[in-house]
Amino acid sequence: MSLISAVNLNKVYGSGDTAVTALKGVSLQVEPGEFMAIMGPSGCGKSTLLHLLGGLDRPTSGAVMIDGHNLSDLPDNKLTEIRRRRIGFIFQFFNLIPVLNAVENTALPITLDGVRPGEAKARATEWLRKIGLGDRLDHRPDQLSGGQQQRVAVARALVADPALILADEPTGNLDTRASEEIAALLRQVANEWGRAVVIVTHDPRIAAYADRIIFLKDGAIVDQTVLEPRSYDNGQGAEMVAGKLQAMGD
Amino acid sequence: MNIQLTLAARYLRGRKLRTALTTLAIFFGVLVLFGMNTLLPAFTRAFQGNILAAAGQVDATVTLKTGDAFDAAVADRVAGVEGVRAVSRLLDRTINLPVDYLDNDPALPDPATALSLVGLDVAQATALHAYQVSDGRFLEAGDTDATVISRSLAELLGLGVGDGLTLPTPTGEQTLTIVGLLPPRTQLGDEEVLVTLPQAQAMLAMPGLINAVETNFEPVNEAERAAVEDAILAELGDTFQLGALSSNIELLANLTVAQGIFTLLGVLALLMGGFIIFNTFRTVVTERRRDIGMLRTLGASRRTILGTFLAEGLIQGVVGTALGLLGGYGLGWLGVTALAPLMSRMIHLDIGAPVVSPALVIGSVIVGVGVTLLAGLLPAISAGRVTPMEALRPAIGAVSLRRLTGVGFWIGVVMIGLAIAALVTRNVSVIALGAVLFIAGLVLIAPVLVTPVARFFSGLLAAVFARSGTAQLAEGNLTRQPSRAAITASTMLIGIAILIMAASIIGSVTIGFSNVLRKSLGSDYIFVPPSIAVWGSDVGSGAELADSLRAVEGVGLVTTLRFAPTQVDDTAVSLLGIDPATYPQVSGLTFSQGDSAAYDALLDGRGIIVNPLLSAQSGAELGQSVELVTPTGTQTYTVVGVGGDYLNAKLATAYISQANLATDFNRTEDVLLQVNLAEGADREAAEAGMQAAIRNYPQFRMISGQEYIDENLSIFDAAFSAMYILVLFLAIPSVIGMVNTLAIGVIERTREIGMLRAVGATRSQIRRVVLAEALILSALGTVFGVIAGLYLGYVGMTTFETLGYPMEYVFPTTGVIVALVAGLLFGVLAAIIPARQASRLEVVQALRYE
Repeated sequence: MSLISAVNLNKVYGSGDTAVTALKGVSLQVEPGEFMAIMGPSGCGKSTLLHLLGGLDRPTSGAVMIDGHNLSDLPDNKLTEIRRRRIGFIFQFFNLIPVLNAVENTALPITLDGVRPGEAKARATEWLRKIGLGDRLDHRPDQLSGGQQQRVAVARALVADPALILADEPTGNLDTRASEEIAALLRQVANEWGRAVVIVTHDPRIAAYADRIIFLKDGAIVDQTVLEPRSYDNGQGAEMVAGKLQAMGD
Repeated sequence: MNIQLTLAARYLRGRKLRTALTTLAIFFGVLVLFGMNTLLPAFTRAFQGNILAAAGQVDATVTLKTGDAFDAAVADRVAGVEGVRAVSRLLDRTINLPVDYLDNDPALPDPATALSLVGLDVAQATALHAYQVSDGRFLEAGDTDATVISRSLAELLGLGVGDGLTLPTPTGEQTLTIVGLLPPRTQLGDEEVLVTLPQAQAMLAMPGLINAVETNFEPVNEAERAAVEDAILAELGDTFQLGALSSNIELLANLTVAQGIFTLLGVLALLMGGFIIFNTFRTVVTERRRDIGMLRTLGASRRTILGTFLAEGLIQGVVGTALGLLGGYGLGWLGVTALAPLMSRMIHLDIGAPVVSPALVIGSVIVGVGVTLLAGLLPAISAGRVTPMEALRPAIGAVSLRRLTGVGFWIGVVMIGLAIAALVTRNVSVIALGAVLFIAGLVLIAPVLVTPVARFFSGLLAAVFARSGTAQLAEGNLTRQPSRAAITASTMLIGIAILIMAASIIGSVTIGFSNVLRKSLGSDYIFVPPSIAVWGSDVGSGAELADSLRAVEGVGLVTTLRFAPTQVDDTAVSLLGIDPATYPQVSGLTFSQGDSAAYDALLDGRGIIVNPLLSAQSGAELGQSVELVTPTGTQTYTVVGVGGDYLNAKLATAYISQANLATDFNRTEDVLLQVNLAEGADREAAEAGMQAAIRNYPQFRMISGQEYIDENLSIFDAAFSAMYILVLFLAIPSVIGMVNTLAIGVIERTREIGMLRAVGATRSQIRRVVLAEALILSALGTVFGVIAGLYLGYVGMTTFETLGYPMEYVFPTTGVIVALVAGLLFGVLAAIIPARQASRLEVVQALRYE
């Protein structure tokens, strides 16, 4: 059974003359442990799709099902609970709370869930070490580089043991090297730690790390590609993706 | 809860200055509220201590309700009541001592500023009290010029058995020989100088009179004793009471007014503090929208977010209140220390430490923390409502606030209407409520008025700034969010309104009182006793002093005031006896009903002039009658005028002829004398002559009328300077409020500012936009503040009038000018930091800010 499935999603912003259709009849499914990328030109609705998948926003029509629940049917506090326990989020900027250090930031989802501070700290520390930030545990965000901040965000996304990670342009703000580190880390998240990862990106190189790529244009899915494993290694995957993007643009 | 406190503490620490300023607002409010309420009860407690001092082995003390003296035969009637075992007659008078009277040394503080002269019937007194004489002997019946004092008083004066103690009396200075010493005094109240009853009656020129009868009952159980008390009152009539003497009832009236003023100031300060907190929290919520959205995304519930903000509020509230309590106690101590010598001299009381009642502490904590939490509640709730989406795409989540101004506007208009209507009712509480409604109404209609006002002022600013773009941008920014602009301006509004109201009231009071002052004290010379307006404890003089003054070469007219305590409708009233022939020529009352014909009317039967305060309290108007309580029963007087003099303006006072005062109240002592010199008199010679005349009456101080007027006017100045400083304090919150709003504005328009810079606006142009905004905001606040202040000033006048103090309304021109300048200044000050922040934004970062 799919981890998460979207059925015929439509999202319209505004009304009357100023109505904007962000998504038109989008349906997809994400399997456990799958690494999916969503791509498309700007304004195509990819971030919107991600937000709907994560229960951050509600569709105008259609349904998002997680664990058999229709997210639209859930009240706010149930949705909030799902965000705490079942989904991890990573964003492009301003991921971390500036007044908390790395461990505290990482521990946030489970602290909010009521886990005792001691245990929360321990689990957070464990994840931070796993992703290689064991020497920066008590650093605040302003003491970390962009790449390190995003790594903390990844750890935070994992600390509650969610089944699904959603990332919106996680490398958009980083240089090439840091971007590739994050992409590799997310790959590890899917392979080694068995979570489903869905990222939105515009960068073909990063998308090449995924198992499957969904292409959106003007709010609808126009193409889909399944990638060979490790096609990011030799740059061929990236080339192919870039080619597809260009073709979409014509 | 842990994460909420952690986040709250971290965020507070991250913005130390702002946290400090916010906490300061609460600190100040609690300081004033708590401090003043420890100070004033200390006074009341001291008064009550004085009263309790009369207790002992005595079951009940019979006195007149007015505290006046009565025929000694009354004691026999009390003795005759069933159940009374023994009585003791007393004549107990407080003698206010002039400054440095006892030690003659201006450098040292006075050892005592008042003494109680107690005349006892020796046989009766020793039956009721056990007097343990440590040195010498107790008084004996038939002693003349002998006295027994306590060891503590003897040590204070450096005297012993056999030495002489000299006191001022109405019959001139008299020396008593100390024949015995009692144990040191431990009770509160003045030290006693015990003499025989006939001695006291002679010294005080009160033959055959006493003012208290101590009694001892036979029965022991509660019910029977109550029956005896009732029997005594039945026998004596309703002009008597069972209670000890209290010499300071008059001043309790003053204290109530003072307490009211300070409590009002405290409440105002706290309200402003609440406004600041509200404003600050709104800023904070806006600044942290991203973080809030992030937390919500991660799964923080609305309650968690709400809790974080409430925790921040709680921390600031608790810290501010705690510091305010400490500071308030310090203020109380400061007040006591500063005022103790003054109080000691004027009303002869040891104030002691400030009174901290558990109820006051709890009340202050509740108010301080409560205001903080309440003020932060709305912003906290709106923070909780931030959806994750709003943080990611703020533009989408924006709520239009325009619809709110619809309902709010009309409610505000209604409130203002009600407030103006309240003026007509002439009821103080209703008027005060009206004042609050007026301000609230202004705040509510402000958002709607923001647009036209902003437009108007931006036009002005455009002229000033020469680049119309700047002013237009500023105007646009404000009109985009009129509610926010209005709320910020409101903080300023309250501050300015208070300033103008204070200026208005001060102006009117000064003019009003100084007119009365000049009239009352306009004589060439005045002879003042140690305590003005607490006549009951002053020792006056017999007619000889006035006569000897008249005999001095160069003296034209001499007029005197005499005093008796009385009651009208169970309220204490100071009754002054004037000589209707000479008084209006040397001094004079200021009439609000009737005119100087009233003086002659006083000579006709029983005429009385009541002062406006008494008229307001009792409802007595021209032509009506009032019942005065006299030592021998009640007496009806007809009101022939409503008018007052400066010295007695704050107390319920009435004026009758000295003839009537003698007949009905048996009082002939002069307590104040005023002298006008004859035409062409030799000033120096006259002064010398007058000084000689009062040499035997050290209780009087000779002062020229002009000097006395100046002395009193400078007291006004001092009091008002203090008020202005207090008001200035209240201005600080306004500035904080404005800084906050401007800061929000800068944050929200980060992209816009980046864009402006990218297309070529210079840093200083950006600064000018923020400055223009600040100036428009402060113009808004100042204009509304001035309007509110003028209204409140008028309300203040009406209130004073209703309470019985006639005032002239004076337009506070200086106040308005100060307010306008202050408003301008605050605008500029508030803009400094946000303007700098805005101009320092890095263009690229700002453009990327979402």
